[in-house]
Amino acid sequence: MKHLKSLNKKAHLINQAVSPEDVEDVVAMQTVVGCTATTDPGWELDPFGGLGSLCQPMESDLYGCADACWWPAQVPDTMNSYPDWGEGVAKADKDWRKLDGIFEDGE
Amino acid sequence: MALTKQNKKRVPLVGPALALVAVLAAPAMAAQPDGETIIRNNCLACHSETGDKAAPFSRISEQRKTPEGWRMTINRMQALRGAKISPEDKRALIQYLADNQGLAPTEAEPYRYLLEQDTNRVEEGIDEGLGQMCARCHSGARFSLQRRSEDEWKRLVDFHMGQFPTIEFHSLARDRAWYDIAKNETAVELGKNFPLITPQWNSWKTAPKADLTGRWRVLGFVPGKGQFDAWMNAAKSESGYQLQLEGQYADGSKLSGSGNARVYTGYEWRAALTIDGVKMRQVMAADAKGGEMAGRMFPAAERAIGGELRAVRDQGEAEVIAVMPSLLRQGESAELTILGQHLEGDVSLGEGIEIEKVLERDDDSIRVLARATGSEGARSPSVGSASLEGGLSVYQTLARVEVVPANALTRIGGNGGEMEKVRAVYRAVGYSAGADGKAGTEDDLRLGYMPATWSIKPADEVAAHDKDEDFAGSIDAHGIFTPGDAGPNPARKMSANNVGRLTVIASVNDGDAQVRGEGSMLVSVPDFVRRVLD
Repeated sequence: MKHLKSLNKKAHLINQAVSPEDVEDVVAMQTVVGCTATTDPGWELDPFGGLGSLCQPMESDLYGCADACWWPAQVPDTMNSYPDWGEGVAKADKDWRKLDGIFEDGE
Repeated sequence: MALTKQNKKRVPLVGPALALVAVLAAPAMAAQPDGETIIRNNCLACHSETGDKAAPFSRISEQRKTPEGWRMTINRMQALRGAKISPEDKRALIQYLADNQGLAPTEAEPYRYLLEQDTNRVEEGIDEGLGQMCARCHSGARFSLQRRSEDEWKRLVDFHMGQFPTIEFHSLARDRAWYDIAKNETAVELGKNFPLITPQWNSWKTAPKADLTGRWRVLGFVPGKGQFDAWMNAAKSESGYQLQLEGQYADGSKLSGSGNARVYTGYEWRAALTIDGVKMRQVMAADAKGGEMAGRMFPAAERAIGGELRAVRDQGEAEVIAVMPSLLRQGESAELTILGQHLEGDVSLGEGIEIEKVLERDDDSIRVLARATGSEGARSPSVGSASLEGGLSVYQTLARVEVVPANALTRIGGNGGEMEKVRAVYRAVGYSAGADGKAGTEDDLRLGYMPATWSIKPADEVAAHDKDEDFAGSIDAHGIFTPGDAGPNPARKMSANNVGRLTVIASVNDGDAQVRGEGSMLVSVPDFVRRVLD
């Protein structure tokens, strides 16, 4: 890494993470109950405890991640558990208002 | 106004007629089958009978969980495995499983915040390995509130592998032999840390359980409304208790409600009440004698916006339960209310505190005008023979203000979309410096909740650059933070969502000065998968 220079902010952040141990330290300090931070990127936080390395806006590549079961605790995984989630919402960045949640907390 | 009457759409688990109030209000069926029969009737398409009386059903008998844990399991069986079970059978089964395969009070105690849905906190003390394996997606409390045999923990690993096939590609998984570690190390550790058979459970299971019938003196907090005190009457019903609640907020306005409660595992109080038109939930734990309960109350439709709740049973004896507010500044006169039951006899607020006037006096509440002339420190107010140790603090200077929660998470929503905003509520706790005169040391004296003026600012340079304070949300005079609207925002760089990292500031008056405290707020994207326990 020492011969490579980071060109953008995200790359700079990655450069700052000297070792995986450091990344885990940051995560351990920053994560509020129910957050996923470590799935690179996490859903709520990036591994550095910030938002700089997240997919933003999240709608722009939502299915790219949901289809791959990336944050199954926060985003319905369409690979296996909820294959129909997102049906009729082909373009999440345009039709995000139609996206409903899975409320598995019923009585 | 903090309480909302929003009705949230839910995944129909057993059909559209599943209204919550109806569920909890309905009396138990006269011919309700017992738990084992319900399992035989509903679960044996996949589970099997083992022939072992001590553990009669495959998988089911090798786990212990909280009522919420069992509800979540049955919900998953319905949502993902096609299980069909009537609402009556489901209620009875959760009761049976929580009563017979639950957690002892001491086992659940460290993790009650998750049962209470009080999740704005950074968990401490989670084992590093379990943090990397489990708590990177779930709360640490979620698995810590389960007890399983080692084999059963191993099956949980296999469930994750089968249900989420890309799990091995995630960070902290793809760079190591995830499956081997999960199955042969993590599951073994879980089996040791959270085993199926424990002395605590063996002892609790056979211990006599308290009857919680009676009048309860209740103290609580409703965001946007404030502190309240009330009486809650719990009368026996077929499935638990029928409740009536009458009381008043600190500003004198009334609150009134009714509902039902079930008690699981002999101590887990779960109540559904409608208070002034808003459906509320109570999650409390009763002590072994059934004299006190403590927990949290929150709106059914918005579990993030809740407040602490405490109930003390009327057992005919005098009791001072709280003084509100719980602090008095040296040299100043202020109104204080002593709350309790059977309050008869002389009133004292402790050494050096002069009661200038008794403004109002009742059997369960005494409002006085008091002035502190004595030294700084905790006092033990008393009425007749009843006293409350450390129930009131006298202070000279407000040394620091703690913002609670110190770390909170809110989620963007609304804006015409299906997902509601997830808000957060803040309170300010004052401290004096204690004997060493230094703020932030162990001997700081907790004074109690104090009124504050609330504001936000960007958390760091990146947040300031992205103007998070303009986009991510706002905080009102009650300390309730409302996050920004959902959806891509063209006004932001790359049309980013209205997410952000903010610092929440409480400013509290101390004479002519102001003392500030700060908390950390993450405004995040929606959580599209909401489960009973996160």
